[in-house]
Amino acid sequence: MKVVPRSERHGHNIVAKLELENVSYVYGAGTPFCITALKDINISFGENKITGIIGHTGSGKSTLTQLFNGLIKPETGVVRLDGMDIWEDPKAISKIRHRIGLVFQYPEYQLFEETVEKDIAFGPVNMKKTPEQVKLLVEQAADFTGIPKSMLCMSPFELSGGQKRRVAIAGVIAMDPDILVLDEPAAGLDPGGREEILGRIKAYRDKKNKTVILISHSMEDMAKYAEELVVMKNGTVIMHDTVAEVFKRTDLIEETGLSVPRITKLMKRLKKDGYPVSDSVYTVEAAYNEIMNVLNKQ
Amino acid sequence: MLKDITLGQFFPGDSIVHKLDPRMKIILMMIYVAAVFFADTWLTFSLLIICTLALIIVSKLSVGTILKGMKPIVFIAAFTAVINIFWSTGETPLVSFWGITIYPEGLRMAVFTIIRIVSLVTGTSVLLTYTTSPMALTDGIERLFSPLKKIHVPVHEFAMMMTIALRFIPTLVEETEKITNAQKARGADFESGNLLARAKAMIPVLIPLFVSAFRRADELAVAMECRLYHGGEGRTRMKVLKLSVSDIVFLIISIAFFALMVVL
Repeated sequence: MKVVPRSERHGHNIVAKLELENVSYVYGAGTPFCITALKDINISFGENKITGIIGHTGSGKSTLTQLFNGLIKPETGVVRLDGMDIWEDPKAISKIRHRIGLVFQYPEYQLFEETVEKDIAFGPVNMKKTPEQVKLLVEQAADFTGIPKSMLCMSPFELSGGQKRRVAIAGVIAMDPDILVLDEPAAGLDPGGREEILGRIKAYRDKKNKTVILISHSMEDMAKYAEELVVMKNGTVIMHDTVAEVFKRTDLIEETGLSVPRITKLMKRLKKDGYPVSDSVYTVEAAYNEIMNVLNKQ
Repeated sequence: MLKDITLGQFFPGDSIVHKLDPRMKIILMMIYVAAVFFADTWLTFSLLIICTLALIIVSKLSVGTILKGMKPIVFIAAFTAVINIFWSTGETPLVSFWGITIYPEGLRMAVFTIIRIVSLVTGTSVLLTYTTSPMALTDGIERLFSPLKKIHVPVHEFAMMMTIALRFIPTLVEETEKITNAQKARGADFESGNLLARAKAMIPVLIPLFVSAFRRADELAVAMECRLYHGGEGRTRMKVLKLSVSDIVFLIISIAFFALMVVL
């Protein structure tokens, strides 16, 4: 299936916020152990959207996130931010890193400061912000991630796992990036913690109009929070569309070793058994409405 | 990068050298090292080179691997060679300029030193680290030094510590890279500034690294206790070391080699 950037598909001639053109990346290039992690990637991320990236382990999702903010340089191809090649001036790559905030997997293991406040301030201080600006950015970031004021003067090492995770995410939000990239932000958290973190990220996007890119293994989370989905397999993008369109293609999703949300599976089963329900449903709320409709008609 | 270190790395294979008993390999290595220091003439050095080359061929390791492992010692070898050139004295000077005199003996010493250092590192790496898995190596050390238990040396504990340390080197290297990237993403700068600034820039990497190393140690200790680990006493092995014919053959060859080195 050919992937067409959304902006082209709809005939708009707008510059994408973040765009990758013919990007390939090889690990250990020139050694006998080289592995092609990404092959000829073309994607563009729309402004103010929450885009989810899904794919099996080893499909190249994490490599992709490191290309976004220039932690690794593509072997071939161009990464553009607001239409500008991020590698145009390799010395200014740190400026790009200030504009694209990347939250790694299990980010709580990067905490190191004496207090939560100082740790969140690490990014803004590196950006040479004035002390007043830093204070404001830290307060805002703490607010978005739901860190109470009383926690700011505690040591990050005495917090619980979920709290640490929020502090680490606040540390990236405090840099006030244009694009927020999160690699499995909810991994290893209990259901309540997942909802809280992902809900806060969505609220942050709604309030600040930022572009968010989210990697997750949970199709349920994707159905609930993402607006567009990128499906990856063996280092290539095999699909990029709205969540509804992607989840319609159960065959393609299952071919990549993933599955559609459980609720979608249930609705497909109901339809197969002869109930007049729509099977392009991927959240519990929508499924509830569908089923109630059918029951009321009877 | 940290990943490029090959010195002390194991390359799996199925050559005769790979299959040797680790205890025997340690003994062979000792004989080899002693032989290297007995070499002092062109004849003995040629013999040493031939022997080392033969060892490399028998071990079936690629030339690239061997050369890559030599990289870290190039500087030391070159440095000692230069010192030998300028500091050795003899009877008839070879050349003399700016008040520095070079004697043929100096050049000879320089060549010998390079051969000595290179063959020392290459030979021991091929014999031990490249062809012996860390587990087999510590197992061999433990068995070889087990008589010391009689005088209350905690041999098993030392071997276990070595095994664990070796096991966690790649893990910690990977972890360091991950944390470095995470801090870079938060705008940390490791490349500019003076020595003090750079040392300070390492703090955001070192603290999380230490914290996670302690966490891992803790988890490992609990996991070991859960499996009733209580030290070496009464512990049986899955793989019992046994000397084979090739072990004896290698021992005879190396003793002959050593004898030749001493006599010549």
